[in-house]
Amino acid sequence: MQITVIVALALLVLTAIGFLVGRRRATRVASGQPSALHSLPSYYGYYIAIWTGLPALTLLFAYGSFGSSLVNILTMGELEREAAPLIRAYEADLSESPDYQTLNEALGQIETEIEATRNALEQARQARGPVDGYQRDLGELTLDRNDVSDAIENLREQIAFAVAARAPDSVAGHRARAGFEYWRARPDRRDLFIADARAIAFQEGFPSRVTPTLNAAGAAMVPWESLFRWSFAGAALALAVGGLTWARGQVSAGFRARNRVEGVISIVLFATSVIAILTTLGIVLSLVFESIRFFAAIEWRIHEFLFGLQWSPQIGIRADQVGQTGAFGAVPLFAGTALITVIAMCVAVPVGLFSAIYLSEYASPKFRSVAKPVLEILAGVPTVVYGFFALLTVGPFLREFAIFLGYEDAVTQSALSAGLVMGVMIIPFVSSLSDDVINAVPQSLRDGAYAMGATKSEAVRQVVLPAALPGIVGAILLAVSRAIGETMIVVMAAGPGANLTANPLESVTTITVQIVMLITGDQEFSSAKTLSAFALALVLFTLTLLLNIVALRVVERFRERYE
Amino acid sequence: MSKATSIRDAVSARLPRRHRAERRFQAYGLAAIVMAVIFLAFLVGSIIIQSVPAFTAHRLTLPVMLTEDLVDPRGDRSEASLRRGSYNSAMQAALREQFPGIESRTELRELFGLYSAINSARLLSQVVEDPDLVGQTIEFEFPISDDADLYLKGQTVDERREAGRAPITLTVDGETVTLRGDEPVFAVFSDRLRQAMTQRAEADEAEAARLIATLDRIIDRDEREVTDAQIERAQRRAERLRLQLADASGLQLGPRDPSLLVRAGETVIAIRSISSDGQTAQGEILLPAGLGPRRVSDWVLWEIETPAATRLITDRQIVFTRTLRDRGLVRNGFNTLLFVNADSREPELAGVRGAFVGSILTMVVTMLLAVPIGVGAAIYLEEFAPKNPVTAFIEVNINNLAAVPSIVFGLLGLAVYINIFGLPRSTPLVGGMVLAIMTLPTVIISSRAALKAVPPSIREAALGVGASKTQAVFHHVLPLALPGMLTGSIIGLAQALGETAPLLMIGMVAFVADPPFFGLSGFTEPATVMPVQIFIWSTSAERAFEARTAAAILVLLTLMIVFNAVAIYLRRRYERRW
Repeated sequence: MQITVIVALALLVLTAIGFLVGRRRATRVASGQPSALHSLPSYYGYYIAIWTGLPALTLLFAYGSFGSSLVNILTMGELEREAAPLIRAYEADLSESPDYQTLNEALGQIETEIEATRNALEQARQARGPVDGYQRDLGELTLDRNDVSDAIENLREQIAFAVAARAPDSVAGHRARAGFEYWRARPDRRDLFIADARAIAFQEGFPSRVTPTLNAAGAAMVPWESLFRWSFAGAALALAVGGLTWARGQVSAGFRARNRVEGVISIVLFATSVIAILTTLGIVLSLVFESIRFFAAIEWRIHEFLFGLQWSPQIGIRADQVGQTGAFGAVPLFAGTALITVIAMCVAVPVGLFSAIYLSEYASPKFRSVAKPVLEILAGVPTVVYGFFALLTVGPFLREFAIFLGYEDAVTQSALSAGLVMGVMIIPFVSSLSDDVINAVPQSLRDGAYAMGATKSEAVRQVVLPAALPGIVGAILLAVSRAIGETMIVVMAAGPGANLTANPLESVTTITVQIVMLITGDQEFSSAKTLSAFALALVLFTLTLLLNIVALRVVERFRERYE
Repeated sequence: MSKATSIRDAVSARLPRRHRAERRFQAYGLAAIVMAVIFLAFLVGSIIIQSVPAFTAHRLTLPVMLTEDLVDPRGDRSEASLRRGSYNSAMQAALREQFPGIESRTELRELFGLYSAINSARLLSQVVEDPDLVGQTIEFEFPISDDADLYLKGQTVDERREAGRAPITLTVDGETVTLRGDEPVFAVFSDRLRQAMTQRAEADEAEAARLIATLDRIIDRDEREVTDAQIERAQRRAERLRLQLADASGLQLGPRDPSLLVRAGETVIAIRSISSDGQTAQGEILLPAGLGPRRVSDWVLWEIETPAATRLITDRQIVFTRTLRDRGLVRNGFNTLLFVNADSREPELAGVRGAFVGSILTMVVTMLLAVPIGVGAAIYLEEFAPKNPVTAFIEVNINNLAAVPSIVFGLLGLAVYINIFGLPRSTPLVGGMVLAIMTLPTVIISSRAALKAVPPSIREAALGVGASKTQAVFHHVLPLALPGMLTGSIIGLAQALGETAPLLMIGMVAFVADPPFFGLSGFTEPATVMPVQIFIWSTSAERAFEARTAAAILVLLTLMIVFNAVAIYLRRRYERRW
């Protein structure tokens, strides 16, 4: 790290020197006649500075991003090669172990039985026959399979332990053991292994444990790391100096330095705007890719995900479900999201719309200049603050109120409290968007209405609002998309229970709440449970995208009509 | 003619109604705005009120004897030896000194529950810094446990105290004490309690009856079971109360009833039973101070109305706390720990500094990424981009990104930055990168607006005197648009500062006990940020975190107000209208 920083600083100094050299060189070439130059002298400076700094810094950045993983791959490859005898011994022991054979056979048998039962269950389902028996069988078989897999895993562990113990107690032995341990580890354990080894070798944070194998792996990393560090540092500096000399040689009176520099600038500017596309691409690809993995994990029962009525991803093994994937029927989440959104809209649309009408049609400029920022503060308050307010003030109040009215089962985390508070948060979106739309309605329409003898409110109700309706609908759609995607208020105030209900006093859950629950829970990235968060996010993304596109279209149409 | 009059009549007849409608309509509009403003005031007001208790804290000051055999086991004053010392024992000894009669294990456990042992770490660092303290007695100040603090603030426990009406005689028999008043001195309390118990029993019976009535209507088996269980619970509660009330020998007090203490000087007795005439009571000594059989006329009847079962502080701890306060050892003061400490599992030690530093580090990353990229993209799109499908696609993309739910950006960060690029989880670096792509559309849109506001005449004049396009933009348009761009960027950053959901996705919700290092290496160490800290605290079980959450919210809001004030100042100061 240290050396990289020093090299980066040196490169910056070299770049500055490059600039000065370029400018000096240009004046010298012009031999006292600046007008003979194609560009201003400083453009030659910029040109040389770009050639000095840009390639070298790119190289350094590449090293910073990929250097350590390169070192990890090389070191672990080396260690795994040294562990080859151990790996061979381990595999030989495994294939010779009679227990292992029997267990594997048992596992295969159970797998076939599961497959058969599952097919029978599917047939029974299609024939609308009784399925309870199959489901029970399936549950038991799954339990059996887990037992057998555990036993296999234990056996492997034992054999591996015995094999590793055979390695000599020397440096080479430790290295071999480290390679062997790494080779056997699951992907996430591998990451941890590398992180620990790095922590020991380079003091990058604190290792979670210190073992001889980790020490050996760390020690093995050091030579590679220093090799790369020094060679990259040298290469970067050489590149900088080379770039400087080469670019300096290019400088002549007729050299079109400004055009070159401007070319680089416009490429950089274009690159920055492409990042927006890359972000969208990244979102779509990562969501789609992980969703595909999720659907593969639930065996392509996409219809079950979209139309299933039961959501319980946390439960590991359920007799009535396929394998151990839990139940992934997302309808309760969609319904909960819809319920909370509807409640929020019931608050936000009337209040927001009436505020907008008042502000644009009635309010004095002075009142407007005060009221508008105050409304906008509502949009600026962090949503976690709304969540806290809903959880500790609104929720208990509504609960007490409901109990007072005679509804005994009221809960603190209700759809109503989340919806109400979210509605307040959305008021400024509705009001400022509608305000814009109402202001865009031409004055001539109002004047026409007044000429017919309409009062102000009649003009608003019968002329301005109908004219502005498409725009207002667009604004409401944007607000709906905002409400659907809102997370913190519902995480804190709506609760995690996936109830399928239309009762606003009960606790419901939403798409965003479940995404948070699934991702912040215990992390095992490739489990169906975690992956389902991506499928939910894909639904959320698609939904908000559609709403947004429709809303923007509607607003655009409306604008065109009056411009 | 008559027709015209009739129309005019009809119109003027309708006029009052129309005017009323007009006024009504206007009132609705005003009401809507007033409602929004009232809600805002209510939101801010309730948070301020909730935060008040967090700004003060009760601290205990004890003379702690740093005896050599406790804190310096090897006796050579070396740091290694001092670090092995048992500082908590020194603190425990100091606390025991205050209550000489407390010997039994349970009593001591309750006594030591008045503070958390982590406080000894500060004592340790104090001694390590100045080894000469060994062998001395120092005044050590540390926060009292959150339960005792809340009790002293009167937030968790209701109590009332009144002077004893008539002298009582105390007879001690081992652990039990019999108190006999000259008059039925306990009668007021026992009557009140009986009344309350009767009411509770009646309420439970009514509840059970109501549930039994609903039982016929319930078809679902699960729901039926739940209701059955509820009925049984209500009946059992009522039964227990009835039994307690029916006891002819007197009133037995359990943990579900209010506690009654008798305090005479330094002696405190917890009453366990009261005779039915209210004249005699039996109790257990909580705090002894040379107790023998005697007659007391100056005593206090101390009723803790919150039952022991529903509070986290025991009777004895209440007595300890109050005694320490009466001795002037517990004092209330400004809660500086809230601002100088990082997060802690103990509410009395938890502070916002860690999250504050984390927020700043994260914002630095966000700013360094979002502002240059956003401004660059805005310049390209507004000034250079040719009208072609690629540009149109970029524009559509930016508009859509502005409406993507923030949590989706978090998932992008998780899938791409962490799982593909292998960047470290929970760190300000990744958090800042996620927030940067989230803020990018805001920065681009506001920067474009700022560029659009620069009149074309500026560009034309620059081009007219021979500047290239790039020169015109960078030398003339950009300086004029910069204040507007800056304002938009700051507002975007303020938004990012309050964002929580995407950071939960990349693991910034982890518990981080040390504030991140305020420097280059801090960017790649696990950290948390203010809004996430608020979320973590708000989901904590301890009651004391409630006020601290509100206080953290105030800190965050102050930070955001500062951001926005800077933006408004810049706009006012440099805004130019053409």
